[in-house]
Amino acid sequence: MIEVRELRRAFGGVVALDGVTLTLAEGERRAVIGPNGAGKTTLINTLAGETAPTGGTIRLAGRDITRLRSWQRARLGLAHVYQRTELFASLSARDNVGLAIAARRGPYRVLRAVPRADYSEGEAVLEDVGLAGRGGAAARDLSHGERRQLELAVALAQRPRVLLLDEPTAGMSPLETGRITELIAGLDRALTILIVEHDMDVVFRLADRVTVLHEGRVIADGTAADVRGDMRVHDVYLGKAVTVA
Amino acid sequence: MAVLRWALVGAAAVALVTFPYWSAPWVSRFATTLVRDALILAIFALSLDLLVGRAGMPSLGHAAFFGAGAYAAGITGQRLATDQLPVTLGAAALVGALLALIIGVLVVRSEGIFFLMLTLALAQIVFAIAFQWTALTGGSNGLSGLDFSAPDLMYVLVAITFVLAALVIWGLGRSPYGRALSGVRENERRMRALGYDTARLRLSAFVIAGTIAGIAGALSAYSTRFVSAQDAGLANSVRAFVTVLVGGAGTLGGPIVGSALVSLIERVVPSLLPTDLRISQAILGLVFIFFVLFARQGMVGLGRSAYQRVQHR
Repeated sequence: MIEVRELRRAFGGVVALDGVTLTLAEGERRAVIGPNGAGKTTLINTLAGETAPTGGTIRLAGRDITRLRSWQRARLGLAHVYQRTELFASLSARDNVGLAIAARRGPYRVLRAVPRADYSEGEAVLEDVGLAGRGGAAARDLSHGERRQLELAVALAQRPRVLLLDEPTAGMSPLETGRITELIAGLDRALTILIVEHDMDVVFRLADRVTVLHEGRVIADGTAADVRGDMRVHDVYLGKAVTVA
Repeated sequence: MAVLRWALVGAAAVALVTFPYWSAPWVSRFATTLVRDALILAIFALSLDLLVGRAGMPSLGHAAFFGAGAYAAGITGQRLATDQLPVTLGAAALVGALLALIIGVLVVRSEGIFFLMLTLALAQIVFAIAFQWTALTGGSNGLSGLDFSAPDLMYVLVAITFVLAALVIWGLGRSPYGRALSGVRENERRMRALGYDTARLRLSAFVIAGTIAGIAGALSAYSTRFVSAQDAGLANSVRAFVTVLVGGAGTLGGPIVGSALVSLIERVVPSLLPTDLRISQAILGLVFIFFVLFARQGMVGLGRSAYQRVQHR
């Protein structure tokens, strides 16, 4: 579904991605882990089309999308959950999700009000993420946890083929983290998911395969069990997390 | 409820359009002129608010389209020796739209203060052209001696256009298109991540606003029978901007009540003061400062919070 070849990105002299190659099969759930500054968010932003790569190629379902803009990639089925919530602050939760639903039909519909069918579809998505009954609240009036839930709802309402999740549980309480993790685990198995996450419980609960990134390079890539046993991974990153687990 | 609301809106619209006929026993003809000019300002301000309040595009060059529409109506009227409204009004709308398309292509990718300065600079170029292309525009003399139709009919045309413009802006606001513009205002990055071509969305809003502003300019040319380069000047852009902010950006009522207040300050207040005391612009400035400092939501916002206070009591 996603093929990344030799992806590079430098910010001035700092190399964030130093030739990353990875392939996700359709329906695969892949976690990307690594210490801070490993290039995880840069990888997600480059896949989403918000950061232009300085080298390498990205393919989505066989099509070269390296030079497409973020909105064009979104139309091809890519959805992005940001690490720092990106919502429409003064719009209601309902309209936040509604804009994602309406995106599928295009914005140039001027003669009629927003159709009711859009709203009922939106209510269903809000219910899925645990925001039932919160549709009328403005995004800025929601709690941090609720905003993260809404962030996910907006991405799901796009009905994507590929979901890019950048720390979906960041800043959530253990209870909220558990809820969101189970929600993601229960998503359609046809959906391809790439998730960047620090919480190892979440990673091992969700991921079929794990890619370990360190200083912009892939240093390990394998099934969750493989990566757990890989000593190099312990050295750079997992040591503490594994002893805790 | 919905039926009642529409009945009220319809009654208000009819009362507004027929104002010169039923108001004659109570007020002077000056009142009709005043309301007419306030309505033209309201159309102009409504079009600007589509950008400022709805799409989050603070343009300081909106008078370029107003002026372009005024000149288009005046010049086609003179050169073609026609007083056919479809011709002159159509020319104004078309020229407003085309100019907005040209300027829009140059500005829609910038945001915030850069957007503000770019629209200001490009509008100043339009102003300079209007001021210096004497053969076409009359230069500093402007275009005078325009003749259209009887004053009462003029008022009715303005009022009907105002009602239609308000309906269009209201309809856009509740449509998926209007909500998408709100999305661009709130978070353009997220809009792109959802698959919206936000540059094109912003450009389309710019062209719609320019078209309506062009029509407002034509109405002004008909009403005053005069077109001046000042119609496209910075002072006129600022006037529309102040009208929107004082009334309340991002609301349908804001630009309308704002234009009423601005018109009162500009036209009625001076007649209450000694003639050598020309301070109406200073008063307008103070009112503007008051709203910027203490009531960012404008008159509509003040009204809403007062209403809520009454409700909670």
